[in-house]
Amino acid sequence: MKYFGGCDVGSTYTKAVILDENGKIAASTIQRSRMNASESSQKAMEDCISQVPELKSAKDLSYIIGTGYGRNRVPFADENVSEISCHAMGVHIVDPSVKAVIDIGGQDVKGIAVAPDGTVKNFAMNDKCAAGTGRFYEAMARSFEMSLEEFSSLSLKAKTAIPITAQCTVFAESEVIALVGEGKAPEEIAAGIQMAVARRCFVMAKKAGAVNSITLTGGCAKNEGLKKAIEKVLKIKVTELSEDPQLMGALGAAEFARRKGGARA
Amino acid sequence: MRDLKHRVYFESLLSDVKNGLVDEALADGKLALGYSCYYVPEVLLNLSGCFSVRMRAPGITDISIATYYMSEKTCMYSRSILERAIEGGYNFFDALISTETCGMMHRSHEYFEMLNLVKEFNEKFFVSHIDSPFVTKDYAVKHYERQLRNHVLTKLSDVYSVDVSDEALLAAIEKHNELCRVVSEIGAYRKLENPPITGYEFHLIELVSECCPHDLILPYLKETLEEIKTRKPDEKPWYRVRVVLAGGENDDPDFTKLIEDAGAFVVADRYCFGSLPGREEIIIKEGETPLSAIARHYIETNQCPRFMNPEKVHGRKAYLKQLAEEYRADGLIVQQMKFCEYWEYERMYCQHVMEEEYGLSCMGIEKEYVNTSVGQLRTRFQAFTEALEIKKLSGEV
Repeated sequence: MKYFGGCDVGSTYTKAVILDENGKIAASTIQRSRMNASESSQKAMEDCISQVPELKSAKDLSYIIGTGYGRNRVPFADENVSEISCHAMGVHIVDPSVKAVIDIGGQDVKGIAVAPDGTVKNFAMNDKCAAGTGRFYEAMARSFEMSLEEFSSLSLKAKTAIPITAQCTVFAESEVIALVGEGKAPEEIAAGIQMAVARRCFVMAKKAGAVNSITLTGGCAKNEGLKKAIEKVLKIKVTELSEDPQLMGALGAAEFARRKGGARA
Repeated sequence: MRDLKHRVYFESLLSDVKNGLVDEALADGKLALGYSCYYVPEVLLNLSGCFSVRMRAPGITDISIATYYMSEKTCMYSRSILERAIEGGYNFFDALISTETCGMMHRSHEYFEMLNLVKEFNEKFFVSHIDSPFVTKDYAVKHYERQLRNHVLTKLSDVYSVDVSDEALLAAIEKHNELCRVVSEIGAYRKLENPPITGYEFHLIELVSECCPHDLILPYLKETLEEIKTRKPDEKPWYRVRVVLAGGENDDPDFTKLIEDAGAFVVADRYCFGSLPGREEIIIKEGETPLSAIARHYIETNQCPRFMNPEKVHGRKAYLKQLAEEYRADGLIVQQMKFCEYWEYERMYCQHVMEEEYGLSCMGIEKEYVNTSVGQLRTRFQAFTEALEIKKLSGEV
């Protein structure tokens, strides 16, 4: 059996997936990224390889593709592909009916329109600041002295949302602290934050050509509160994926590796 | 492909506005005339005894003082020019020929006067402002011609006794056309399937032709042309796709390099500081004076989105389509500097027309004068290249 690897080195998490020659996921991992992107990719791939008894090292993989912001620093990769193409492909092989994706990563938000063959039809990126990204959520959860999961659950308890006017992460954090100081209900502030991010996603979704439904990928896709807020703001359904949405970049990279490596063999 | 003989030299010339060739021309007693926009005919600044310098601010990092004067909501190019002027980077100028085509750049140039920049080093230094037309009608061309006479020629003649006769203009046109022919001939090699030149190299060549005294840079350009004629490209083309780079101000060859590093060969340069337009020969038609021919030429060839008349508005898109066909491009990248008052609208409109009406893949990029977020830009260029490549392989392009 031949195996193919995809390694997505993100700004906050590094993800790796190994596919067998039939396209079935043989192993996967999600790990916190280190300062050194190369080291992050090695650790993630080692973890994946340890899950497949037939594999001893990255050399046993037929083809490997690196993606994510650290894609150029994956020492064992045969080549690299942009995370935009990889997310589109990852989502496509999990659910070929998906036409539009919002990828909310650690440092940027991307809207991706997916072509029927899983390639990128069009894309838009918001990478000018951390607003609406994973970093933004980390800062907000920190204000509440909560984990991201607790923050998400808190927002779901709100009956109304207090609007957060600041777009900048730094100012939004100050605004949240001020609202907490004023004694406003924490769940309503949290819901307001989710709505603020959802509004930012609106533009990306429109650019990605979302009409009836959209799929979220990236770590923030696991945030239930955000999903609900997006459904409310965009008035469209957020399609759930049967695989971990945070793995879509690595999965797409592994699929590209399977296609390229398979063709080479 | 072997490196171009003068590549490193060209890069070094572009690392400072006052480069070695500028120093040489100044030592020769020539007048340095600064400008920043295509609406200021370069040819008029290259009359006998003068040389043109298109203004750049290479290596600028901190633009705090210019931001204080101009606010954060102005384009970074205009602020960088002002900051460099405050630093003393243009103190060798004898005149600055400005145009109010762009409000921000015009404002930046006005500060040269308000802050008494350059003048303390050169008493005769002056800033002259041209009022440029928005339309291409005959009366507009005549108005433009009068502006060129009153605000460029008369000023140069009055202050520095420059010969601005028709004979002098004819000689300047001839010299200008010679440079244009050489640069255009080099640029035409980009049309080849396996070209002996990269977009980055051409960007360097075009920039040195705009930022160095023409008679001093011309021998290097001619030598480069001869080298390119016999330069052997690698066996297989190095690129994955071909793109036209369009848009507003772009004097950063590293921006072109970033696109090419992602595998997209920049085959045509339709942006401010580019050669399309910029390096077309000036033809004097029957009945025209040299100045009226110059005025007509610069209005006709101008692709600035400041022009509002329908012929120009539609013509700009048709020109891009024509370039894409002529240079066999797989797609277009339209770049615009943040807060650019014209290209902000034009980029969106252009993307729509290119994709919806002409079926050409087009990516829009908003950038700064100094691009620090190269990681994000690299991702965009790579994703666009991958999408174009897949379309190309599947026969959609």
